[in-house]
Amino acid sequence: MSQPTAPSNPTFDLFNPSEEHAMLRQMVADFTKAEVEPQAEEFDAKECMNIPLFQQLGELGLLGITVPEEWGGAGMDTTAVVIVHHELSKSDPGFCLAYLAHALLFVNNFFYCSTDAQKKRILPKVISGEWIGGMGMTEPGHGTDVLGMTTTAERTEKGWVVNGTKTYITNGPEGHVFMFYAKTNGKISAFLVEDGTPGFSKSHHIPKMGMRASSMSELIFEDCVIPHENLLGEEGGGLIHMMRNLEIERLGLAAMSLGIADRCLELMVKHAAERVAFGQSINRFGQIQRYIGESYAKTEATRALVYTVALSVAPDKHNRLGSDAAKLFAAPVGKEVADNAMQVMGGQGYCREYPVERLLRDAKLLEIGGGTLESHQKNITKDLTRALR
Amino acid sequence: MKIGVLLKQVPASDSRIKINGDQTGIVTDDIKWEINPYDEFALEAGIQLVEGKIASSLVLISLGGKDAEARIKDGIARGVKAKPEAIRLDDAAFAGSDPLGEARIIAAAIQKAGIDLLLTGKQAIDDDNAQVPAMVAELLDRPQVTFVEQLEVAGDSLTAHRVMGGGQVDVVMSPVQAVVTCDKGLNSPRFASLPGIMKAKRAKIAVWGAADLGLDAGTVGAGAAVVSEGAYRLPADRPSGKIIEGADAAAKVKELVRLLRDEAKVL
Repeated sequence: MSQPTAPSNPTFDLFNPSEEHAMLRQMVADFTKAEVEPQAEEFDAKECMNIPLFQQLGELGLLGITVPEEWGGAGMDTTAVVIVHHELSKSDPGFCLAYLAHALLFVNNFFYCSTDAQKKRILPKVISGEWIGGMGMTEPGHGTDVLGMTTTAERTEKGWVVNGTKTYITNGPEGHVFMFYAKTNGKISAFLVEDGTPGFSKSHHIPKMGMRASSMSELIFEDCVIPHENLLGEEGGGLIHMMRNLEIERLGLAAMSLGIADRCLELMVKHAAERVAFGQSINRFGQIQRYIGESYAKTEATRALVYTVALSVAPDKHNRLGSDAAKLFAAPVGKEVADNAMQVMGGQGYCREYPVERLLRDAKLLEIGGGTLESHQKNITKDLTRALR
Repeated sequence: MKIGVLLKQVPASDSRIKINGDQTGIVTDDIKWEINPYDEFALEAGIQLVEGKIASSLVLISLGGKDAEARIKDGIARGVKAKPEAIRLDDAAFAGSDPLGEARIIAAAIQKAGIDLLLTGKQAIDDDNAQVPAMVAELLDRPQVTFVEQLEVAGDSLTAHRVMGGGQVDVVMSPVQAVVTCDKGLNSPRFASLPGIMKAKRAKIAVWGAADLGLDAGTVGAGAAVVSEGAYRLPADRPSGKIIEGADAAAKVKELVRLLRDEAKVL
């Protein structure tokens, strides 16, 4: 059983293991403060992705963060991925979700299951931000029970003929290219589909509670013919790609919960210090201190867990237990700390004028997307039980 | 044309400054460091001049200890397309230099590096001295153009708009072999990019000491300082505001005028 171990070197900085990580954090924090924060409220209200801002992520080199430098990426590790999602989500988790769907669900996933020819054709466009990517796994009838998917791809002379519907696909409305999974002879295979392919269409944007700065839709395949060269990896080998990518994805999502918790904690501490009731700051009241104290302790525990697990996830290193545990722990903490902030801030927390209301709505998704809490509980129990044998 | 940019490491502008126990400096334990914000305008101007092929090369120079290398790497990461060289000026003999000592070190480095146009911030936000650039210009016998918010370089000369306060802007011309200090408004400094950060990681930063610069160690450092620091103190707390009570606006204005005349003594 894989167990994350605590770093033994006392000078080791878990959150910024190298100078490059520290510089990356500073760069993303500066960008978030200057460019992301000012637009967050507006795009939450508009319920769409801020495409020019997304393209700035391409200029900063963040869209191919895990892709090796020889392929035009930055060649950085899982800790770097966690840093970017953590910092962006302090201001705009919705925008960060669009980034995650592109950089992890599409780009990272695609890189590790594509041929050189496929990489040359697709990577420059998605690393620069010219194309927006997404990934299709969930179906109207199959979420956590992903192996039950009913989308099929049949090999014919003219190509793969695909039929089925994927739903809740982040970046669906804006996306130019998608990875998706379909059954071939009863086994799951991974494919690539480009917008505009005959027989491929998207539904309208699906309205949702939070994460409104990213949009989602269905991907619909109706006798859609996909070229033979759009099969990714081996026929029937899709499950391996899917499972491998889920670990880094879950750490990205857990880091988003951490970003929400950090921001909400900051807002509640500041508010509690400034707000006066019954002649004194409300942080003098034990009821308020409980919200602050518990929020801080849980946020710190999340930080330690997420960054520790990040050290043990890499293209050649796996830690499914750790990544499931990180997201299972982090997601409710993000929601709870946002809720605590709203309670401490009272009316100001509930009003849309302040970011807590948005962050609380955003936080809920992280208990569902990229694996429900229940799927993490299932996986953890399965892996721990298997280790008994 | 070779551009030099001076980068100074300063505490981040949102730092909470604390004075150390013996009042000889600030407590640096929890300080987050950054490139002096005015130097960021100089850096961006330098990068743009090289990207625009007006200048041929860019050299980043910082006077500071090993810990300043992170700031130099930040500069390299932002200017990655201009492929900057980087030099850190460091020597035990430099410790305790006053602005004139620092200017001597920097001027020697400018000569050794063969810099034509030196760009720097109008002042550093840590001590707000604004002394060093002028002294460097004087030591090199070059023109200095300060508080620049617009800069054009063409051939052997530059045209700069200087912010003079009160809405006045002076437009001056100078040979490019000059020292230009940059002000807010000159440009919008770019963010570092991730490929830039990865390249900065591998970049070599030269370290030049007194011997490399041909400096007489007696002319720099604490021993040569003519300006010394007395004690560090935080500014006094600002007194809290006063809410003027009164039956109506007219009564409140009357009371305000009385307070401005009798207490504040500004009328």
